[in-house]
Amino acid sequence: MAEYKYAPTKWKELKKPVDGGRETYQMKSWNPTKKKWGPYTKKGAAPVWFSEANATNWTESMICKVKDLFYESKLNECFEKGDEVAIKIHYGEWNRTSILRPEYIAAIVEEVRECGGNPYVVNDTTLSYHTYNSMAISQYQMEGAIRHGYTDATFGCPVIIADGYSGEDDYRVELPEGNIIKETYIGRAIAEADAMIVLAHARGHAITMYGGILKQLGIGCQSKRGKYITHLAHWGDPHDAIGWPKFTDNCPGKACNYHQMCDDSCPRDAHKIMAHGKSWNPEKCRLCYSCQVTCMWSGMTGICFEDMYFPNAMIAHADAALGALKCFDRGKVGFINCAIDVSPECDCFPWSGLAVAPDVGIFAGKDLLAVEEATLDAIDNAPIGPGSVAEEKGAKPGDDRFRIVNGWSPRITQAAGEKIGLGTRKYKLNEYEPVLSPENAAKWQIRKGGVGNHRPTTVRLRDVFYKHDLATEVMPFRRIEYDKEWVWNEWKKYDPFKGEMLD
Amino acid sequence: MNRVILVDAKGMAVENSVVNKLQRLIQESGAADDLSEGMRVAIKVNTSEAGYEYGLRPVFIRAVTDVARDASKTRPTICDGLRLVDYWQKANANNFLNLAREKGYSNDTLGGNFVVIGGFSGDEGELYSCELPDSELGGVEVGTAVCRSDALWVLSHVTLHPLFGLSAALLNGGFDCLVARAKSRVLRGVDPYPFNGQRPPLEKLRAFQRRALESHLGVRAAMDGRIFYVNYLWDVTPQPEYFPFSGEPVTGNLGFLASRDPVALDAATFDLIRESHSFAKTGVDSVREIGEVDFAKVLKDAETMGVGCAGGALRRLS
Repeated sequence: MAEYKYAPTKWKELKKPVDGGRETYQMKSWNPTKKKWGPYTKKGAAPVWFSEANATNWTESMICKVKDLFYESKLNECFEKGDEVAIKIHYGEWNRTSILRPEYIAAIVEEVRECGGNPYVVNDTTLSYHTYNSMAISQYQMEGAIRHGYTDATFGCPVIIADGYSGEDDYRVELPEGNIIKETYIGRAIAEADAMIVLAHARGHAITMYGGILKQLGIGCQSKRGKYITHLAHWGDPHDAIGWPKFTDNCPGKACNYHQMCDDSCPRDAHKIMAHGKSWNPEKCRLCYSCQVTCMWSGMTGICFEDMYFPNAMIAHADAALGALKCFDRGKVGFINCAIDVSPECDCFPWSGLAVAPDVGIFAGKDLLAVEEATLDAIDNAPIGPGSVAEEKGAKPGDDRFRIVNGWSPRITQAAGEKIGLGTRKYKLNEYEPVLSPENAAKWQIRKGGVGNHRPTTVRLRDVFYKHDLATEVMPFRRIEYDKEWVWNEWKKYDPFKGEMLD
Repeated sequence: MNRVILVDAKGMAVENSVVNKLQRLIQESGAADDLSEGMRVAIKVNTSEAGYEYGLRPVFIRAVTDVARDASKTRPTICDGLRLVDYWQKANANNFLNLAREKGYSNDTLGGNFVVIGGFSGDEGELYSCELPDSELGGVEVGTAVCRSDALWVLSHVTLHPLFGLSAALLNGGFDCLVARAKSRVLRGVDPYPFNGQRPPLEKLRAFQRRALESHLGVRAAMDGRIFYVNYLWDVTPQPEYFPFSGEPVTGNLGFLASRDPVALDAATFDLIRESHSFAKTGVDSVREIGEVDFAKVLKDAETMGVGCAGGALRRLS
């Protein structure tokens, strides 16, 4: 699409009344599954760009590196001028601290706009997950996003809940290729975009073991009912199958300190505390995880998951990721993984564990699985985060880090994704290190269109100081006469630690 | 209790600014007394199209949302719906929000969460009966930001309207709260942008007006009657806010009115505009002339359909 879709007024050309009816008004905005969707890499290894987390000069700022990788990996070619570009991020749970800093997102928004795209930042509502969730209700989620600094003022574009006010504004996608699920529902702000840049915080996850760009598609792009399907809700028999919470005999009933919190956890009132154990009405249950997470993270064992739940959910979320990818033509989705603050759990947790690895860096590319595999390998090979759960569980560099931390290998998802055409796990890593030069130092430091006025700050300040200079007005400053003895020796008479005169 | 309360735009003073007047109006109306802690209040506003430059100032909205927030101890949801066609910038949520932001409408300035009524697509809603035996529509899909809230406050920038006569409480609290596909059904056969001389035939116009009134009944059913209306008689332009331009206001700034009855409110608003000095001076009935619409007939229809009652006293706050 080369033309700007929402061109200004053409009212003089309007020759006839606008007909009513969904068919008429929706014709332009309805966005059926793209016929040209498909994995980006057709054969061989996929290129992945990487820049390590560290900086010693202007060019190596992590924000500058994200901008550099955006162009190095040709994500600017994912969209054309005038395209509506969804920037998919995770808005983060209330009280969570290890989320992506707003600067990373603003950096990508700036470059999408610079290249002619029309960006907006999106995330879907979640299911309830636990008693004190604040992402299931769109308004709560927005309040949390604002608290994290995710606002239209910081990004310079709208910050939108992709699946509407109630999580019901979605688009159905058929998935005949799916290993487990055969349909899913994608938030309309994503399904109706022309292109998408997925900007993920690479870290652990309690259900899928690891969460990066694939998780952003497989759960993050799903509307509420898309998430229910992906959770495998109601898959099999209520009392012994994985699509349901597992109620055990370990529940102490009213003797449990958390029994009220547990009762409160169900948004459908499907379970009630009894003197011993719980009563459960599977008719009402939709598998939102609320009771399971509330029980397990309170340190109790009364409600948990079936043993085989996790690998099956991982395979299902790869299917759901395909559902999101099918809303776009091939090559219209770009991926960035930020392996920074690599915490053991998802951004939908209202706390943050210590990082299981020191900051690794930024990964970018157009092949979903290749970028994920490169990120996983790099995190596996990174040193162990001191004091983290990885250290506690005895993980060593080179181990499958998230298998040790969370229980199952994230490669299960990768293998399932490769089978259904999400991409290739083979990658060729291009390590990007910005070269320090006058041009590169200036490239991302001088702001375009802002108060920076396309010039170095110091050069701009010459104009300011020429007109007015408060410092010069009050010079010379009141001090003792310059004295070399004082400068070189006098201060040595003080104890540098106590600030007292030495004898 | 008086059914419509008016505070005029005269006598501005240190403690009688526009914000003071608005907040006193809400206080006197008792609307905040209906709210309790934790209630979700949807505040329906009009956001203007690119090119329309007479939209309400954000602080006029903020003055009211602050009262709702204080009463409910919860940030209200401030909302408006997408437009139906892609000619301008408001049929797409991204452009809609960008444009609103450019005009100063944001979470920060309005004091609540600013959203599109029917989600990104404008189609997220729920069907409610129009509760009328001979209803043409039967039911309408009301946008989720409205129908999933516990109370609705309709803040209307009063303007003339080419199809309905007056864009005020009846239209803003009804048709404007619907999802896009329901709006499309209400507008069947009628061009909402008749600025090139193509006016709809009178028969189709009247049918549209009745459908728009039916949709008000649908919204009332969705909210179980918990609706409160404020009309802003400020910059009363000949064109409504969804137009991409506007002529100069047809009358001076007359003040603000509030009521729980949209028919009584719009009737009082209509009378005030017609009786205003500057309006009478033009010597024409602009409401009729601009839209070929007899708003008095619309009000009578509204009464017949049970939307409200046009009679009743007007209480002026001094």
